[in-house]
Amino acid sequence: MTRSLPAVLWLTFVWVLLWGTFSPASIVGGILVAVLVTALFRLPPATDRLPVRPLPVLRLALFLLWDLAVSGAEVSWQVLRHGPRASGAIMAMPLISSSDRVVTVMANALSLSPGTMALQIDHDHDVWYVYALGPRDQAGVERARRRVVDMQRRVLAALGSPGEQAEAERVLGRMS
Amino acid sequence: MIDPVAIDIVSAVLLLTGAMSCLLGALGLVRLPDLPSRMQAATKPQTLGLLLILAGTALRVELESAVTLLLVGLFQVITAPVISQLLGRSAYRAGTVRRELLVVDELAGKMPEERSS
Repeated sequence: MTRSLPAVLWLTFVWVLLWGTFSPASIVGGILVAVLVTALFRLPPATDRLPVRPLPVLRLALFLLWDLAVSGAEVSWQVLRHGPRASGAIMAMPLISSSDRVVTVMANALSLSPGTMALQIDHDHDVWYVYALGPRDQAGVERARRRVVDMQRRVLAALGSPGEQAEAERVLGRMS
Repeated sequence: MIDPVAIDIVSAVLLLTGAMSCLLGALGLVRLPDLPSRMQAATKPQTLGLLLILAGTALRVELESAVTLLLVGLFQVITAPVISQLLGRSAYRAGTVRRELLVVDELAGKMPEERSS
């Protein structure tokens, strides 16, 4: 019960927002529905604990918002400038985390970053395959690679272990 | 109290920029060459446009309705990546990715085979 408490709180929050009224009825109704949902649809227990770092998480959220704005502009530019002749690249990139939840956040962050999305995640070899729209030559591919690692570094700053953070810096250092 | 005209102007700018971004996303769906690149147009300018339009709308409605708009934005940002990843890998498997438009393809031959039953 205590383990599903965050889920219950979150679901209640969403429920109240959906109703759009902050009345006792909507809050109690929300709690009932949340308890029912978490009891009926059990999530597998998370084996790892994520660190709580409010400030880096906030920084990550702001960065992602900014990334999305840049992203919209860049993809629009590709549409206008190159259109049917737009080129892309599929790159094998190191996946610098073994935590399922961190990888989920990374994949989500990646699809908000300019022109990129995850095509395939190979957890066994810690590699993921990233599609990027925009690179026209090898130099462009290298730029896109750096961006992917830099994004991972930012996610790890908020959610990763010190070891993973050091690994991200190392990979980034090797690229420059 | 903030000047209502100022709110109207900010809201109008947000709505128009958002609409512009959505239009560019739609244009991308038509102009870009293959599925993964079109997914970029469908997810990025589109999401940005939606968020801007939501922000512009939020300024003009009552607070209670504005909070519901927050949920719309949140779900868009959370769900779009999942769909784009699923579609992307299906497209790669199905061979609808235009290989000649890729500068590099490091996934070639690495995609695990579908098990035929």
